[in-house]
Amino acid sequence: MSERPVPSDDRSAPAPLGTGRLGMKILVLALSMLFAASIVGYMVIRLRASAWPPPGVPRLPGALWFSTLIIVISSGTMQTAVRAVREGRQRALRLAMLLTTLLGVAFLISQTLNWFALTASNLTAKTNLYGFTFYMLTGLHAAHVVGGVIPLAVVTAGAWRGRYSTAFHPGVEYCAIYWHFLAVVWVVLFTLLVIVG
Amino acid sequence: MANIDTTTDAGGRGAGQNALGGDNYLTHGRGLKSWLFTLDHKRIGLMYLVVILSSFLLGGIFAMLIRTKLLSPGNSALMDANTYNQMFTLHGAVMIFLFIIPGIPAALGNFVLPLLLGAKDVAFPRINLLSFYLWVTGALIALGSIVTGAVDTGWTFYTPYSTTTNTNVIAMVAGVFVLGFSSIFTGLNFVVSIHKLRPQGMTWFRMPLFLWGIYGTAILQIMATPVLGITLLLLIAERALGIGIFDPALGGDPILFQHFFWFYSHPAVYIMILPAMGIISELVSVFSRKHIFGYTFIAYSSIAIAVLSFLVWGHHMFVSGQSLLAGMIFSFLTFMVAIPSAVKVFNWLATMYKGSIWLATPMLYVLSFLFLFGIGGLTGLFLGALAVNVHLHDTYFVVAHFHYVMFGGTVIAFLGGLHYWWPKMFGRMYNELWGRVGALLVFVGFNTTFFTQFVMGSQGAPRRSYHYVSQFQPYHVLSTIGAYTLAIGLVIVAVNLAHSLFRGRPAPANPWGGATLEWQTSSPPPHDNFPTTPVAGDPYDVEAWTYDGRIGGFVKKAPAGQPAAS
Repeated sequence: MSERPVPSDDRSAPAPLGTGRLGMKILVLALSMLFAASIVGYMVIRLRASAWPPPGVPRLPGALWFSTLIIVISSGTMQTAVRAVREGRQRALRLAMLLTTLLGVAFLISQTLNWFALTASNLTAKTNLYGFTFYMLTGLHAAHVVGGVIPLAVVTAGAWRGRYSTAFHPGVEYCAIYWHFLAVVWVVLFTLLVIVG
Repeated sequence: MANIDTTTDAGGRGAGQNALGGDNYLTHGRGLKSWLFTLDHKRIGLMYLVVILSSFLLGGIFAMLIRTKLLSPGNSALMDANTYNQMFTLHGAVMIFLFIIPGIPAALGNFVLPLLLGAKDVAFPRINLLSFYLWVTGALIALGSIVTGAVDTGWTFYTPYSTTTNTNVIAMVAGVFVLGFSSIFTGLNFVVSIHKLRPQGMTWFRMPLFLWGIYGTAILQIMATPVLGITLLLLIAERALGIGIFDPALGGDPILFQHFFWFYSHPAVYIMILPAMGIISELVSVFSRKHIFGYTFIAYSSIAIAVLSFLVWGHHMFVSGQSLLAGMIFSFLTFMVAIPSAVKVFNWLATMYKGSIWLATPMLYVLSFLFLFGIGGLTGLFLGALAVNVHLHDTYFVVAHFHYVMFGGTVIAFLGGLHYWWPKMFGRMYNELWGRVGALLVFVGFNTTFFTQFVMGSQGAPRRSYHYVSQFQPYHVLSTIGAYTLAIGLVIVAVNLAHSLFRGRPAPANPWGGATLEWQTSSPPPHDNFPTTPVAGDPYDVEAWTYDGRIGGFVKKAPAGQPAAS
């Protein structure tokens, strides 16, 4: 217990940074269990299948590599934003936050295009378990990315209005924990779905 | 005992104080809006209490209808076979997802946890309110399935039946999915609160044991519930898209569903029982007027149970066709759970040993708990043994076993805790005589209902069947009589508690002589819980408190050499 929050008069006041960060980490723990269980389910389905991928299914779009590149870079810009705000560099914070948000949106667009490409080549979630698990895992991840882009946009707007300082910037810290987590999850999913195949 | 400021306790808003007439959390802010949008953990706890007890009533009505139907072997007057299937499914689903899982943590835990911590509120009051509304949303969606086609799968939603039945599985499952979010956020809030809000002097091993129980539960809520979430999503996907994940007719694997389901639902059993054990740890010390025995063992055993709970899910699947090796490993691990459980029971008994046991209503529930949980736990060993399990699988023996643990353990502890903290919640004492009568009837009624089912089950009576062979009728009749007795007992409990709200004697700050922090503020507590941040001492130093007849409650003994304060 490094810090002990001072009792505040207002219950809707933001929690102290250490408290909020612990909360975010526990949320990430819960989400890790969600993705871990999904991945275990995927592996069980895969190991039971006689052939994987089943004969006749189209190849996964190569643009998935592009998605991976985007989200890895965005994780880097997110960290740049955290460092900038801790050191009080407002301009760098604004640009890095904006860039992270845009990259998040770009990731979602890239994923959507990948789905369209697959659907166009007649692989949908209803085709077979191969299709289902692909859409399920990427969709589950994308849903969480949507849930990350919204707070990223809010925090970016806050940064442009000069809301954050070296002493007070909880939003940036919380976004970073969540966003790095999503990048790691994507790299794991990408490895399973595309590299291992 | 650390330095609790006795002058503040006795002279300020401390011992003996009833705040009903003045400012307290109940009078702080008036009108419906001040409740619906409150961030006060005490009010959120009370709102949970209302909705959770309503669910208990609803689930209880289903149970009574089932028991009434089972009075005679071929009775189809009360309901047809399909309705019967829906009825026991709803009984199970409502009781488990709406009542027992959130019961102690969300209702009692919400009210008591910050008080035990000497804190003003939980770590994230807004997330706390969000959890409550998620609960309400989930409950409405789940109960909506009653109108649109009540589920008839049993509360476990086993595939492939759950993917093929024409009842509204999607609504029920989606409701449970939302309830899961509520559960996760409550757990998150409690873990962070326990980490960050402990007051000065409260190290991990000076925490009240109820907090250890809540902590273990919260970890399970956080780590197991997401697995249920994905399982239910897959079930919905299979029903909606017709993909063969679980249904063997479509090439799926029904056993996979069982693995996933029990990976959550077995830990869920401990989500239910760990906080119950925490309540018993508090009560047994207070009502034996003696320091808790073996504090560290009780604390560690909570964590041991939480860890083991993740490793025993396969014992629900001994006859599902999983490998014999897997069965043996799960059987062995199941037996392991008996060790930390027995450690707890031993320490509770050792706490009572040579204590001056005070048979107030909460203590009657403690004694009930020890007896019933003992039976529930020991019959778990029968079921954990592979060969015996094959004989007892899906018989009334299993029904009796988990009711002894769920009701005999969790619900009894919930009732004990409710009676214990009731004066703190509402500032009024209930009638002690009727409290004891209620506790006694609940105990007798419960045993009559379910001990009979052990006998019936060991003779092979299958659970969940609509008609049964007439040789079991005497047992069913006895069981139903027990169920009515139990219901009468619960009505007495409810009337007694409700009556106290209007006619009860005003409660002192510390009616039972507890040494934990919630007793060191007025009853009911003020909006901000404590006038000044309290300093925590030994939570089980109950002998430092002495009864004062003038206020009808306990006051802190003055340190040696000083005259008694107040």
